[in-house]
Amino acid sequence: MPVFDPNTPLGPRPAPAGDTIVEFENVTKRYSGKEILAGVNLQIRRGEILCVLGPSGTGKSVTLRHINGLTKPDEGDVRVFGESVIPLTEDQLSPIRRRLAMLFQGGALFDSMTVEQNVAFPLQEHTTKTPREIAETVAEKLSMVGLPGTQRKMPSELSGGMRKRVALARSIALEPEMILYDEPTTGLDPLTSEKIGHLIVDINKRIKTTSVVVTHDIVMARTVSDRLAFLHQGRFQFIGTFSEASRGGPPVLMEYFRSMGFPCGTGLVQVVKDL
Amino acid sequence: MSAPQRQVTGPQLSATAIFYRRIGWLRFVDRFGRKGQAAMEYLGGLAELAGQAIHGCITRPFYSTEVMTQLDEIGVKSLSITGITAFSTGMVLALQTAYALAAFGGKMFVGRVVALSLLRELGPVLTALMVGGRVGSGITAELGSMVVTEQVDALRAMAISPVRRLVVPRVLATVLMLPVLTALADVLGILGGLLIAVVELQMTAQDYLTSIWNQLAISDIMSGLSKTFFFGFEIALIGCFNGMRVEGGASAVGIATTRTVVLASICVLVSDFFLTKLFLAL
Repeated sequence: MPVFDPNTPLGPRPAPAGDTIVEFENVTKRYSGKEILAGVNLQIRRGEILCVLGPSGTGKSVTLRHINGLTKPDEGDVRVFGESVIPLTEDQLSPIRRRLAMLFQGGALFDSMTVEQNVAFPLQEHTTKTPREIAETVAEKLSMVGLPGTQRKMPSELSGGMRKRVALARSIALEPEMILYDEPTTGLDPLTSEKIGHLIVDINKRIKTTSVVVTHDIVMARTVSDRLAFLHQGRFQFIGTFSEASRGGPPVLMEYFRSMGFPCGTGLVQVVKDL
Repeated sequence: MSAPQRQVTGPQLSATAIFYRRIGWLRFVDRFGRKGQAAMEYLGGLAELAGQAIHGCITRPFYSTEVMTQLDEIGVKSLSITGITAFSTGMVLALQTAYALAAFGGKMFVGRVVALSLLRELGPVLTALMVGGRVGSGITAELGSMVVTEQVDALRAMAISPVRRLVVPRVLATVLMLPVLTALADVLGILGGLLIAVVELQMTAQDYLTSIWNQLAISDIMSGLSKTFFFGFEIALIGCFNGMRVEGGASAVGIATTRTVVLASICVLVSDFFLTKLFLAL
């Protein structure tokens, strides 16, 4: 099985017109009295790849963690698959979390387990598959992320990029309806970042999932996103396609593009394509 | 002509700040109150985790493989440290007892004193302190590192309860292994005393062992061993709780680890008094 389909078309695609599966309604979150999210509103559609873009420390990861209930808002509501996650206890959240997967910034692999045990872990917990079937699924998922034959390695033996790909294999082991990516390319070189970008698009198509990608990497956002949501000062200042953003987003988004070394205005799309 | 009077303006203080400044002791009360509140929150969290751990011990799913791993980690790997401690303590006890009783010609009671001291108090308490230091700190460091590297969040995101997966096996293993370690420590301590009795005090092994056997009651053994179930629960619970509430980076893990050793030791010693009173009353 190929690592990923190199012919996978990248770049802005028309946003899928799927039904809304996640909805943020006036979500506010404070840490030590500081307002991180200040009345956030957002809708995520089934099947799309939504990139949450913004400078560091603006609450992108906090937004992501609201979706699977790892963080609860101080005010507002978050509905996932039509159900509010706010009043749910950890046990009550389990059915929703089984339909979601999350790729953590550092991979969050269990360092006392081998690669195989890590990827097999959700399968052992939530399926009735036999050990042989689990081993086959693990091998398949590892091949999908371009790491066949690494089953016996320990996470400490892997590079940063490999750890993220193993974590991605673990995330897709149960073929979730939605995958949450928390800074999937942070700390990786441009080539590995590009591979991860290809993987995200490829996996989104193969297992027909919805993806939410938190990143501050404009190239990544350009490469994978169907839609872009720009978070700044606790609010989404822009939600739309990358083309719409490049044609003329709000000044703060333009300023962000400029600060990341991208000229903005009409020439932005071409410049990024040239990269 | 006099110069115009300049109006001096300092930083604006709130009414509360002025009040506190004027009445200093209120600040002390406030600080004391905050500390008290933090302590109550800590105890509340500990009690909540205790409830969840007990619930996890009696309801599915069980992680039997993880329990076996922890039995090895917590029990088998603590054998040497608890064994050496008990053996040395038995030897010292025999020497000190013989010295103290020599004036009364009570050398033949050495075995009895050593055995009673070890079985009722020193065996359980010293073993719990050693395990508290080794295992409690290990649990906090391991779970704290897992929290810092988001492994605990990864479990939650996978709809797996960290309490069932991480806390319950460690609590179960400590509760089950501490009595076993204590029993072995008791035996080794008595053997340490025997060594001194034979080599230093010129007693025969038979005299030493007979003095123990004739005077020993089953309640002596049971009261000591019964305490260790409580000690084990306290040690594992404090270790897990401090590990799971780590916030920040590596330094926070270090602080939490130290706190576990201190708190587990204090809890063992304080609860020992109440448990001794309880078992004597029974």
